[in-house]
Amino acid sequence: MATEKILDVRRMTHWPGHMEADYIYTLGIAGERFFREIKENGRISGAKCKQCGQIFVPARLYCEKCFDKLTEWVDIGTKGRVYTFTVAYVDIKGEKLEEPIIYALIKFDGTVGGLVHKLGEVALCDLRVGLPVEAVFKPQPDRTANINDIKYFKPAK
Amino acid sequence: MSDVAIVGVGCTGFKSVTPDVSYKEMMFEAATRAYQDAGNISPRKDIDAFISVAEDYWEGISIFDEFVPDQLGAVMGHLFTICGDSIIGLSTAYMLIKTGYFDVVALESHGKPSDLLTLYDVVSFAMDPVLNRPLGGHPFYVGGMEMNRFLCETGNTKEQCAMVVAKNKGNALPNPYAAYGADIEVEDVLCSNPYFYPLNRLDISQPADGGIVLVLASSEVAHKLNDNPIWVRGVGWICETPSLETRCWSEAIYARMAAQMAYKKAGINTPSREVDFAEVDDMFSYKELQHMEALRLCGKGQAGKLTEEGVTRIDGDLPINPSGGMLGMGWPLEASGMQRLLEVVLQLRGEAGSRQLPDVEVGVAQSWRGVPTTTGAVAVLSNC
Repeated sequence: MATEKILDVRRMTHWPGHMEADYIYTLGIAGERFFREIKENGRISGAKCKQCGQIFVPARLYCEKCFDKLTEWVDIGTKGRVYTFTVAYVDIKGEKLEEPIIYALIKFDGTVGGLVHKLGEVALCDLRVGLPVEAVFKPQPDRTANINDIKYFKPAK
Repeated sequence: MSDVAIVGVGCTGFKSVTPDVSYKEMMFEAATRAYQDAGNISPRKDIDAFISVAEDYWEGISIFDEFVPDQLGAVMGHLFTICGDSIIGLSTAYMLIKTGYFDVVALESHGKPSDLLTLYDVVSFAMDPVLNRPLGGHPFYVGGMEMNRFLCETGNTKEQCAMVVAKNKGNALPNPYAAYGADIEVEDVLCSNPYFYPLNRLDISQPADGGIVLVLASSEVAHKLNDNPIWVRGVGWICETPSLETRCWSEAIYARMAAQMAYKKAGINTPSREVDFAEVDDMFSYKELQHMEALRLCGKGQAGKLTEEGVTRIDGDLPINPSGGMLGMGWPLEASGMQRLLEVVLQLRGEAGSRQLPDVEVGVAQSWRGVPTTTGAVAVLSNC
């Protein structure tokens, strides 16, 4: 253990470091199909497990419960319910956001899983767990097969 | 198979910033103290294996484990680096000794988040890159979402969560290792800025720098190294799922199942009666309540009420986080579980100073790996 310690803060120096870390994240077989359905058809898909009968959203290649391969795809519609939500008032630096962002986990009836997304066209005072919501998609030509092809979810009529 | 005891502890203490020492010097300081505490052993002769708990992105070094040996006295030694929380590291040390291959094992963990200029970007990097990360924002919104669902399902309240903050920061005041002790009121928490509704600024633990080393030994040698060994009676750990979409949001299943595993090993059937006190993860205020319920220290929906009644205070019947928890001591990344273990050891030894609990024999330490994980670990320790 050090017996001599630095007493003068002006002597405390450091070396600045920077790490380049750029990736591409392959969507994979199920991810490719899931996001193409959103991009081309405005459809949200689930995948059904033959063993346990559960439908997983987003659609994927395997069942996390049975470890079985999922081959049956299901259109689950674009309407769900707010399972939980939060209102973020600060950005990643901890600075106050000009407009708060509402994040929610949306669940779809009869399925397992759901989608984490933003909520829009809703007043903070109207937010509640269980609120019925529907997906608002970007116009088709602007979609690029990713989660932001859905702009947000809004209260369903 | 031999029993396993903790025979040495060493801690640097926790601070909001530590510009005077490198992470290696921090590890060296904690190790020096722990080896001295364990009967002044030499790591070059007397320690059979070393475990370090660390992750590359927290450290800013690829293959961080290669940078571990020198400052622990572990060069040419048998070294493992565990990626996870430090109570998972403890579980590994426990099993190493149980194999009979090793008698004395050193366990190290530290955090130096003040070196990390983009801490929350690194946390964000742990989110699913395809489904979640493109939404952007501060990753702790996940905590806000979880708190909302937890309060909604259990009936615990935001006010009761604020009581946890006031209690833990108060407990931290007399703890010389704690970075964020404070004498604050419940109102201060409720009036602090909203961050991720229903989480306010003061509901969230702040980062802290510091390191801890523990020395573990088999029962054959434990008494030779320390007159007051603290026995590891059971360990458990569980990984649920990384998926925000399919995980359980209504309770901390990872903590419940990890506790189940540890209690079974320790022969504990009714934790609310058999456990004298607990140190649990309180990264966010509601986490203390959620984890108390998962550890079966009370029934579902009861943790807030017990907090309100003062049962979990340092002078209550079931003290929770007498150290001040992470809200009071700070959040040292993967060393958070080690903070919990350290306090349980000090309390069971009777070395907790002015915050010493009377007549304690069995203590529980529990950790959570933090946003966005559902991984947790539990250790049951006793002094007899």
